[in-house]
Amino acid sequence: MLSIVRDLCRHNREFRAGALLTGFIVVFAALSFVSPYAPRDVYVVPPDLPPSLAYWFGTTSRGQDVFWQLTFAIRNTMLFGFAVALLSRLISIAIGMWSGYKGGFVDRVLMSINDTFIVIPLFPLLVLFYFVMRDNMSWPLLALAMACLGWSYDARLIRSVAMSLKSREFTQQSVFSGMRTSEIVLQEHLPYVLPIVFYTTMNNMNWSIGLEVTLSVLGFTNIDTPTIGVVIYWANQHTAMVAGIWWWIFFPVLFVVILFIGLFLLAISMNEYIDPRSRLARMGGMRG
Amino acid sequence: MISAAPSLATDAPVTERVLTVRELCAYYRTRYSGVRREVRAVDGVSLHVDRNEIYGIAGESGCGKTTLIKTIVRGIRPPLAIAGGAVTLRFAGRDRDIYALDQRELENIRWRHLSYIPQSSMNVLNPVRRVRQSFVDFAYRHIGRPMPDFLQRVESHLDRVRLEPAVLDSYPHELSVGMRQRVTIALASICRPDFIVADEPTSALDVVVQKEVLGMLHDVQQEIDSSMILVTHDIGVHANVTDRLGIMYAGRLVEEGRAAEVIRNPRHPYTSNLVTSLPRIGDVTQKCGLDGAPPNLADPPPGCRFHPRCPLAMATCRAESPPLVDVARGHRVACWVTAPPTSPGTVQ
Repeated sequence: MLSIVRDLCRHNREFRAGALLTGFIVVFAALSFVSPYAPRDVYVVPPDLPPSLAYWFGTTSRGQDVFWQLTFAIRNTMLFGFAVALLSRLISIAIGMWSGYKGGFVDRVLMSINDTFIVIPLFPLLVLFYFVMRDNMSWPLLALAMACLGWSYDARLIRSVAMSLKSREFTQQSVFSGMRTSEIVLQEHLPYVLPIVFYTTMNNMNWSIGLEVTLSVLGFTNIDTPTIGVVIYWANQHTAMVAGIWWWIFFPVLFVVILFIGLFLLAISMNEYIDPRSRLARMGGMRG
Repeated sequence: MISAAPSLATDAPVTERVLTVRELCAYYRTRYSGVRREVRAVDGVSLHVDRNEIYGIAGESGCGKTTLIKTIVRGIRPPLAIAGGAVTLRFAGRDRDIYALDQRELENIRWRHLSYIPQSSMNVLNPVRRVRQSFVDFAYRHIGRPMPDFLQRVESHLDRVRLEPAVLDSYPHELSVGMRQRVTIALASICRPDFIVADEPTSALDVVVQKEVLGMLHDVQQEIDSSMILVTHDIGVHANVTDRLGIMYAGRLVEEGRAAEVIRNPRHPYTSNLVTSLPRIGDVTQKCGLDGAPPNLADPPPGCRFHPRCPLAMATCRAESPPLVDVARGHRVACWVTAPPTSPGTVQ
């Protein structure tokens, strides 16, 4: 594993850049643990100060230091994305591999559920979810809801790999030697599927972070927990753009964009590691 | 490399029949958009294999060789289904119908009594698992010993096929094709099964490696005293390794006998053509193929399935299917012309 990371660092520019950007964000989020202010405290610093040596990213109209506020926000946003990705991976691996391996009736039932989830418009559903939950809305709950909605595309992807693995000789030999279905799927097939899962994890994090920011900006989440979206929500509430407090919006957007690009670069470099053919195709090797 | 096989006359009382296949029929039954199709890949095959014997099956692609042995090891999956007949395997001193065993018994006999080297067996090894893990996955449950013992045994067994123990820590793609083939042979014989079924174990190898691998397969088989069914379309392989040889055409056994006898003195017109098609050093005669193609097994021709391509075909051939009759000791042929049931050579 370490040697793979080392090789990717050495030979892959996208991976290098992605690791650097994501690493920067992770270190920044880790600073939240040494923050001098609690995340929800307001009016702890003079409000509306532009970026300066004392307050690097300026202060908000609510008397918060944008720098320290952002460390909490990016940490919560990243954890949120990670939690959604992790939970939805579990669902998509389970459904995808079960459906692909079993085939037949099980496959048809699971895939019709899967396709239903693919075509459901998620955003209105999540807004509805917020209006049902109202004050009980917390970010673990939202993460769970989004994980339950975000597994379907990747379950299809994993299913297609499982179907191909099912027809390979080593699977037939496993069946012949009396391995149980669970053993075949977990021991023989899962190692094959895992690189694809890593790849989709990054994409899923991006997707969930994007959706969470959208919901938060509009105020459809718990606005007490600082996330990138919530910071922008408060900036909008205080009409920061009109008042000329640009740093209150600029820095959260900059940081979430850095996180996005970092994760995206990691995902495509991971894809290259998993499937060297995509690299060949870009080099023209397939056509040449 | 290959010692002369001991003479095993089929009707000698000392030999023990390890496998008996009686009137086996295995059909692929499919139904797509309401159209039923039934491909009769194996249609009424009877044969038997004695202890410590290598039984060869030859025939062109699509003649049902692989289907036959999948059926013999009960490795069938839909749409393949058994339409009749029985497969009896003798192990631990008892004859058992392999299709009467329940799942648990079946798991118990596999690898310990019956092992299978499937076609393109190089893909038997999972590409993302080390060789050691493949051995553990497939064979550990069958050997009934603690793990250190098992691994010890794997190592000493790999030595038999001249592989270093370091192979165990490799991934399959790190091994050469010949090495992988030897790993699969070791895998199939690790539990010293009474019966090994090998489906084209050497077809992907070049002739030099092929000779080596076949020699090892033969040595291992002799050493652990098991019987074997060896399927390959390569008659040269059969001439070297096989004790008795069965020739299949379009899902039926058309000729069977001692390998040397069948190859030197073929009685069925299909076998004669198959054997004369072999290139020989110094032979400058023009080779010509048979006209036509093997029949569609979803709609086989009536009578003898070979008659549309047979140079000797006569009226009976088109109407009735010929039975397998003995033409000499242990030599059976299914042909109305060269082995008519009433011919003086018949020993029935």
